[in-house]
Amino acid sequence: MSAILSVSGLTKSFSGVRAVQNASFDVEDGSITGLIGPNGSGKSTTIDCISGFQRLDAGRVELGGQDITGLNAASVARAGLIRTFQNVRVYDSYNLLDNLLVADASFRDTNWMDALLRTPSFRRTRTKSQDRARELIDLVGLTRLIDAPATVLSYGQKKLLAFAAAMMARPRLIVLDEPVAGVNPTRVNEVAEILRKANATGISFLIVEHNVEFINSLCSKVVVFEQGTKLTEGAPEQVRNDPRVLEAYLGMAPAAVAEAS
Amino acid sequence: MEISATYLLQLLLNGLMLGLIYALIAVGLALIFGVLEVINFAHGEFLMLGGYAMALSLPLFGLSYWPALAVAVVVTSLIGVVLYECFLRHIGQKEFERSILTTLGISMILLYGMQYLFTATPMMVDTAYGFDGVEIGSIRISVTRLIAGGLSIAAFSGLYCLLKFTQFGRAMRAIAQNREAAMMVGIKPRHVARNAVALASALCGLAGAALAPIQLLHPAMGQAIIFKAFALVVIGGLGNMTGAVVVAIALGMMESWIGGFFGIVWQEGAIFTVMIVAVLLRPDGIFQRGSMRVG
Amino acid sequence: MSEPRWTPYAVLAAIILLFALPSLTASNYYIAIAISGLIFLSAAAALNLVYGYAGLLSFAQLGFWGVGGYCAAIAVMDLHWSFWAGVLFAGVVNVILGTVIGVVITRTTRHAFVVVTLTFALLASLIARDWIDVTRGPLGIPGLPPPQFMGFIFNTSARFYYIALVFALLMLAFLYALMTSRIGLVLKAIKQNDPLVESEGISPGPYKLAAFVIAATITGMAGAIFAFHLKVIDPSFLDFYYMQTFLIIVIIGGAGSFWAVVLAGAAMVILPEALRFSNELRMVIYGVVLVAVMMFMPAGISGWLETRRIRTLRKALR
Repeated sequence: MSAILSVSGLTKSFSGVRAVQNASFDVEDGSITGLIGPNGSGKSTTIDCISGFQRLDAGRVELGGQDITGLNAASVARAGLIRTFQNVRVYDSYNLLDNLLVADASFRDTNWMDALLRTPSFRRTRTKSQDRARELIDLVGLTRLIDAPATVLSYGQKKLLAFAAAMMARPRLIVLDEPVAGVNPTRVNEVAEILRKANATGISFLIVEHNVEFINSLCSKVVVFEQGTKLTEGAPEQVRNDPRVLEAYLGMAPAAVAEAS
Repeated sequence: MEISATYLLQLLLNGLMLGLIYALIAVGLALIFGVLEVINFAHGEFLMLGGYAMALSLPLFGLSYWPALAVAVVVTSLIGVVLYECFLRHIGQKEFERSILTTLGISMILLYGMQYLFTATPMMVDTAYGFDGVEIGSIRISVTRLIAGGLSIAAFSGLYCLLKFTQFGRAMRAIAQNREAAMMVGIKPRHVARNAVALASALCGLAGAALAPIQLLHPAMGQAIIFKAFALVVIGGLGNMTGAVVVAIALGMMESWIGGFFGIVWQEGAIFTVMIVAVLLRPDGIFQRGSMRVG
Repeated sequence: MSEPRWTPYAVLAAIILLFALPSLTASNYYIAIAISGLIFLSAAAALNLVYGYAGLLSFAQLGFWGVGGYCAAIAVMDLHWSFWAGVLFAGVVNVILGTVIGVVITRTTRHAFVVVTLTFALLASLIARDWIDVTRGPLGIPGLPPPQFMGFIFNTSARFYYIALVFALLMLAFLYALMTSRIGLVLKAIKQNDPLVESEGISPGPYKLAAFVIAATITGMAGAIFAFHLKVIDPSFLDFYYMQTFLIIVIIGGAGSFWAVVLAGAAMVILPEALRFSNELRMVIYGVVLVAVMMFMPAGISGWLETRRIRTLRKALR
């Protein structure tokens, strides 16, 4: 299997403080990969650097073999890597349909003359785009609210909408920043199910999340960060039992953990 | 053209005077921005109000300069308090455009209100000093100009001490640097902000009052200067008071020198061009932004 | 926000009424107000594109307005071009000027944007006053001739009115098509959430630039026509008063809402004239209204209505 995302030697510091140092990892094509680590371990900086929201100091990022190092955020997105935000972002005054239309490059990039004159070819594109938007809104279970402005959605619903918008952009890889943080625990399984369905259509995922159960149930591989660098990686069950991971999370030696339990 | 040393000195003094007046206005704008993150469009009208307060109270004191000046400063600082309590207090930190439009509306009310009451005709202001002058070598400077220059320097020294050595000054700098931390140690942002706006208005009123006997007084006098002051504050680094003062004096000098050698046509055009280029090259200002370093 | 179903009929009725206006009143005074109103409305709608849609609080509109007026006046008086060529010339100059300024300032911070656009407007008024060789300085250029077309002379208010009307309708139709198109959709998205827009693969720069240049062009041509309505142009053409009027119209209606701004424009032009205030008092009232709107409904009337709609919707969903 080939890697859809390949990060090597990623380094980033903020006014002298190293946030990420020499981190390397891959996301296999078609996989769901988890990225976990304690707070302040550099996960957010890493995905900001990958998605072009931060300029990295050193290292290389490849998306499906194409070098995307140092591209700006919009170019990274057009190359096929879409990210979501930890503090969920949606267009509050737009209804759900418009939220998704903006995200659709095939609709956005129609000839501007056609768009102004509403020519038949423009209308066809728009109808196609709207149909696809409806499907995705249905996938995340928000059809009931399709005409409502996004501001009336709950926090968890906004996260689902943001996910649908990410899908709308027809990406090859979606990077989700804490998709279930702040989401009602009873709905977490629904989110996992939606992600699995999306994954089945061929989209790869990189998920940053603190909810270990959620990660374990979804991911084929987990990358663990600590203090700005990769600590280890492997299958969920393998990582879970790694003494170094326990130490990083709990701040004590595994022997002490064993004694305590 | 024969350039005499006297002429150069004259230009230098004129420029310094102009720069000091700009600085009084700009430093207040920078102060308000530092504490509230608001660009006060009505600031120029405070200048005008200071001038009119001076002009209207002068006859009450038999043209005596100092009591009228005191009235002007007190009146403008009180209007500053009203501005803060009624309007600025209700505007959030991130609502930059809203703050601009609100203060723009206030500026319209004050400007056109004064025009309605006093007409747009310029007003001459006479003080007990009249047109008395002081001869220094071959240059003659009017007393009122001299006082205006002295007042600005005194005001800056006072401001420096206030910010550096008093509790109020420390609180203000703390808020400008880190709002949350300042609140945690018990600083009340509302009090500090109100005092800052009152102080900034008073400085502007002082400038207006000092200008009144030197220039003609008219309701739109604030507008001409305020836009320059905005640019000064941005070039100086938003919220950076030292930067604002330095840039203001430099601009006053430049204006005077360009005007002295190339004629009035180029004077303001050149200044504005310099300002546009400076802002474009360094959108965050020449000096470091935001830190309210007074020293 | 969707518009009511009867909108097309209302628009049709308004257009018919506007075309019939000169035959309804013989008063040149009212016709003159209508001409100013139509031209201000075009300029305000252009400002709505920049501020309401692209989120750029631009004071440069005043500069473009003045540059447009002077370009047309100079083209007609000194170059002996026709009025139509003069208006076109004003548009072309503003496309270039808007692009040059826009390329640089759409990349700066919002603080710097406000200050630079303001400074540009002031610079334009200084040039009008001081560059006497070209602009004839404070005296201005008097005696602008009435436009002619194939021997027909637009020499009465009622005749000139139709020029203003056709211009305003064309510009409003164009802006409507633009704002309700995918371009308007993306522009407002940029205003709402810049990082999200970028994460979806949109570079905001070109959109903002396009909005800025289009608005500059429309404002410039509006200024050109207005100068010929006044029949004279002097530095007072760049008085901050015009900028304040455009802003008031946009803010009251609600930045970002096409129809609300059009209605507010009509109201703000007609009301003070109907009540016959002095110029100063009118501006004081504008100021009071601006402050009141900013304090109590910062998103304008349309925003206020929208907030109420959302509140009821929230209740219904609960």
